[in-house]
Amino acid sequence: MNLKSKIPSIKNYTGIIFVLFISFLVNIKVSNLDEVSYLSLWLGISFGIVLQKSRFCFYCIGRDFIEKKNSEGLLGIITALIIGTLGYHLVFGAFLLEPLSPQLPPNAHISPVSIILVLGSFFFGLGMAIAGSCISAQLYRFGEGLLSALFAFIGIIFGFIFAYKIWNYLYLNFIYDSPTIWFPHYFGYAGSIGFQILVLSVLALLFFKFHRKQKKQNTLSWWKIKWPTYVGGILVGLIGSAAYLRVAPIGVTAEIGNISRSFAEFLNIMPLRLEGFDTLRGCIRVVKTIFFTDNGLFIFGLILGSFASAIFSENFKIQIPSYLEIKKSFIGGVFMGFGSMIALGCTVGNLLSGIMAASLSGWVFLIFCSIGLYYGWLLKNKYLV
Amino acid sequence: MKIIKNLVILTITFLLSSQLASAESKFLVDTNWLAKNINNPKVKVIEVSVKPGVYEKGHIQGAVNFKWHTDLVDTVSRDIISKDKLQNLLRKSGVNKDSTIILYGDKNNWFAAWAAWVFDIYGVQNVKLLDGGRAKWEAEKKPLTPIASKVKSGNITLTKTNSALRARLSDVVAVAKKKSNVALVDIRSAAEYQGKVFAPAGVPELAVRAGHIPGAVNVGWGNAVNKDGTIKSASELKKIYAAAGIDGSKPIITYCRIGERSSHTWFVLKKVLGYDVRNYDGSWTEYGNSVGNPITNLSGTVWGKI
Repeated sequence: MNLKSKIPSIKNYTGIIFVLFISFLVNIKVSNLDEVSYLSLWLGISFGIVLQKSRFCFYCIGRDFIEKKNSEGLLGIITALIIGTLGYHLVFGAFLLEPLSPQLPPNAHISPVSIILVLGSFFFGLGMAIAGSCISAQLYRFGEGLLSALFAFIGIIFGFIFAYKIWNYLYLNFIYDSPTIWFPHYFGYAGSIGFQILVLSVLALLFFKFHRKQKKQNTLSWWKIKWPTYVGGILVGLIGSAAYLRVAPIGVTAEIGNISRSFAEFLNIMPLRLEGFDTLRGCIRVVKTIFFTDNGLFIFGLILGSFASAIFSENFKIQIPSYLEIKKSFIGGVFMGFGSMIALGCTVGNLLSGIMAASLSGWVFLIFCSIGLYYGWLLKNKYLV
Repeated sequence: MKIIKNLVILTITFLLSSQLASAESKFLVDTNWLAKNINNPKVKVIEVSVKPGVYEKGHIQGAVNFKWHTDLVDTVSRDIISKDKLQNLLRKSGVNKDSTIILYGDKNNWFAAWAAWVFDIYGVQNVKLLDGGRAKWEAEKKPLTPIASKVKSGNITLTKTNSALRARLSDVVAVAKKKSNVALVDIRSAAEYQGKVFAPAGVPELAVRAGHIPGAVNVGWGNAVNKDGTIKSASELKKIYAAAGIDGSKPIITYCRIGERSSHTWFVLKKVLGYDVRNYDGSWTEYGNSVGNPITNLSGTVWGKI
């Protein structure tokens, strides 16, 4: 054996060097960058690497299950949720000694459960199936060179603006009175952990039952091999918990919401006020203060991390989209933008950060997003081929 | 002999310097004093920050969190917390009759000073501000913890209410109409005082008129602090306020927009300089909305005019 085949060649490291250089630039060039924002950038980079290496794409995972009876990805999500549940409760116990109602732990994505959440989740699922991946996967696949993601982003911004336009009506009529349910209020911390792990374990058993053995992957060099999804899951759970402790729950829509708002303001179509926004705890923020928000840096880091990882693993490939792909990405993006805005988060901010936080809203998102995904998959196979 | 003599001198110098390095006055403690007394069971640290969620991410060890939006006010009518509720809150937070309360918060102790004012109204004893607040503690890289600590209930009892520390609308209207000989200090920014803006940037415009109460002088709250956020020395403060005509020769009322930044100046004038001072917590959001009262607007801003 020669050494050459055991380690990747020099050009594989270019992405890593590029990212180190960019993060160095951010550190010295961005004025007022505090430790937390810089950490947010690095958590984003780590998240991007993990998503890229383990192909942590919610739609792909769902599709693999529907089409190939492959449960591996779903089990990866379950792993992330179990690790995250433990991590979050560890932090909760530090922040709030006792989970006494109506106190909620700060910043956690514990949002109201309403018919709007149900609709938003469903539209989001529909959108991610049409566009071929959810927002976080669009971001990491953009880092891999998938240019159709740009059209998805444009669609997402349109979806956001449309949701902003009708938000006040939805909030005052449907969301205002709806309950915010946090399991530790009802079961205590230990009970909440037990309940979540029980439900997640039952789901895991079901997925094992339906799982069919898959064809083995070709044996590749170690740097090209996809990480098993459960490894991705463990790391996603850890990153989620660390981010909650030090920065904010992970999410990828807050900064997109900011950009959409700026764009809507530019077009003069932004409502003067979004009712109730200060009081809701989700992944959407409309207070834009500085150019580099913590969430903006997280998303930027996500793309960077994925880019470095893709170059290193030889997965990077500029993919020019066809007209059909552009159409699908855009339409799917509109649905995702609209859905995630009214549901106050996407598969990351709601499904991951919501369930880890033991919020019923996260579970509701999971259920209706999955239903949306299934219908979206049917629709796409029928009309958009 | 010489060695012993030197040792004695050294010891005395050391003792003196350590005394100087961590200072505790009647109403202020510095960060080093608090760092040394952090495990002192008689010391009760309370954080009152403007920004929600700051405390949980990291606070001074053993500190409890008071939220100014909900804990220290009546949440239905616009008023400060009632005596009974404050007593419950303090007991729940482990404050005893003989506790020394150290208040601190973000934004230069704005709401910590406001809490000190509320505590003073209800006669809470031994209340001090951490000089420089959270910002100085952080700047000195002193430790913060995200871990809330369990506290045993305290036994503090509140008996009296001293309303004389609080100015009401009628009190300031009397000054505006020159019916009362009181000095008014507007501690807001010059732009707010002159009526150029209705409220500082990033804050909702809760008053429909701009300007200030006739007769008020403008001394921004920030004039009272050094660069590191600590409160200036008494002699410096005397000079600064005297230059604006505030010399303690007559009673003083401080106000701002909602009464929190003015608590900072209230604290400085009342506690550090010992003047007779009331805080007008209705402040501009009450006065600037009140009907039929005189206003001085140097800028001629008209609300709603395009």
